[in-house]
Amino acid sequence: MLAIILTNLRRRLTRTLLTAAGIAVGVATIVALLSFTQGLSESAAGFVHLGGAELGVFQANVSEPATSLLPESTVGRLRALPQVADATPLLLIVEGVKRDPAAVVFGAEPDGFFSRQLVIVAGRRPNEVSEATHAAAHQALIGDRLAAQLKLGPGGVLAVKGRAYTVVGVYHSGILFEDAGAILGLRDAQALTQRAGEATDVIVSLSPGAHTDATAKAIERALPGTQTITNAQQAVRAGANGTLISKAILAIVAIAIIVGVIGVANTMAMAIAERRAELGLLSTVGWSPVRVAGLILGEGVAVSVLGAAGGLLLGVIGGDLLVRALGVSSYVSPSVTAWGLGRGLLVGVAIGVLGGIYPAWRVTRMTPLKALSGT
Amino acid sequence: MNTRSGAEVLAEGVSKRFGRIVALREASLRVGPGEAVVITGRSGSGKSTLLALLGGLDRPDSGRVLIDGQSTWSERHPARLRRELIGFVFQRHLLLQTLSAQANVEVPLLGAGRPRGERRERARELLGEVGLADRAEHVPAQLSGGERQRVAIARALANQPRLLLADEPTGALDSATSERILELLFGLRDRLGMTMILVSYDAAIGPRADRTVTIADGVLRDESLPAVGTAAGEAR
Repeated sequence: MLAIILTNLRRRLTRTLLTAAGIAVGVATIVALLSFTQGLSESAAGFVHLGGAELGVFQANVSEPATSLLPESTVGRLRALPQVADATPLLLIVEGVKRDPAAVVFGAEPDGFFSRQLVIVAGRRPNEVSEATHAAAHQALIGDRLAAQLKLGPGGVLAVKGRAYTVVGVYHSGILFEDAGAILGLRDAQALTQRAGEATDVIVSLSPGAHTDATAKAIERALPGTQTITNAQQAVRAGANGTLISKAILAIVAIAIIVGVIGVANTMAMAIAERRAELGLLSTVGWSPVRVAGLILGEGVAVSVLGAAGGLLLGVIGGDLLVRALGVSSYVSPSVTAWGLGRGLLVGVAIGVLGGIYPAWRVTRMTPLKALSGT
Repeated sequence: MNTRSGAEVLAEGVSKRFGRIVALREASLRVGPGEAVVITGRSGSGKSTLLALLGGLDRPDSGRVLIDGQSTWSERHPARLRRELIGFVFQRHLLLQTLSAQANVEVPLLGAGRPRGERRERARELLGEVGLADRAEHVPAQLSGGERQRVAIARALANQPRLLLADEPTGALDSATSERILELLFGLRDRLGMTMILVSYDAAIGPRADRTVTIADGVLRDESLPAVGTAAGEAR
């Protein structure tokens, strides 16, 4: 049976390859989008745990965590809670670096735990004196990934929103978008964005023995109008845009499946129309309708497996191209998992099965004589 | 090669129409086990339709066809009946073009779920039987018209049928090749003991068979049964 299936596919090589290519595009779309969402989730996890924090405090009911605004006084109120070991404010500036719009610039206290955990790999930390006097230092630390991309090092100049900052050091944190971004002093960042006395969020490290979820609830009770995010899933849910992206991706995946199914069904239906006499002969010599239908279904699945294999490869490449095309390579690194590839393969095979069912059913409805006559 | 006794074929009042065209009108025919019967008639007389109904390739509008007492269309699986009892040879050989002669002969055995080794051995045996042992690996395009028909005959014999139905098996062949194919068919029938019903417009084949019946405008004349039906053709 397998030999006949493969022979039939080889006999119509162009059609086989074109159908497989159609399926490959569908599977590649699915794999690329799944790797993108997986990367998004992992980035969200990094966003929550910036500086080794256990949780982040944001303004409640914002469309995106990055658009949150909190008064700087929140930090003192958080530090007063017994479950909180330390808290430090962050001010996020997106699309501030013209040469790499995907880079995120963080405004952070130089003596806060966010800055302290950075490993300086070249140069030094910014002058603390300037921060203590609340004067603008016009100094910046730059992540090693961004430094490599912009070919900047200590002594170089980083332009953020058109203002020049002297790079005094290069750091590595191990978190993708931290290393692909830069850090200014909190005062510099507030001055640049005209947000004096405000922060995007406050990251919190917990006292020994404090439970994350219980602390999060205690914070939300103590600070009405805030929301706490403790894990990646919450981070994705908290962002309306993230939710929108997830739903859009689901819709695209559904469309890719539908288009794939229609493509395979169309190909198999045409193949049957061309081969009615051949299928009629198989029935005449005693092949049961189930066996003839199995041949058609088998051909559909074989084409789909071929397409899915190509699609997996394309999808891995496509995921990388997608983040570059969207200009989010600094936030998201596509993450290809075995389950993601497995889902792509399953979808490919499902396309073959679903697309082959109707043509196969049609074959079982034909009498051998009608099929042999080719009418 | 193993032999099996021939099947008994009984058609009772079988009618068939295609739209307004009456192809067969209350045809009745009995063919005894091991008998060779030739059905002759002009083109469009309904002989191929009758053969298709006898072989369970289509459903009669009325009447019934029994093979060894089993109705071809009341059976739940007419394919099983064809697989176990009947072999077909057509005017067009209907070989699968991409498969070798050997693989074409194996196709019915594959449908019967026979293991690979058995399929190969049986196909080689049959190709030897029809004189094509040295052409087993050739595809149809590499064979002559007569050789293709020989492969088709070998394929028809694959599942050791008790009834061989041949529809104009020499219709597309030159006279010398036709002669050799007919010799092969009747020789196989004599040796294997199967029942054979052969449809042909050529009445000259008749003397080779045990009996000849004629069909005209959908009405069958079988000398062994009282004639039924009076008219056929386009319904008015």
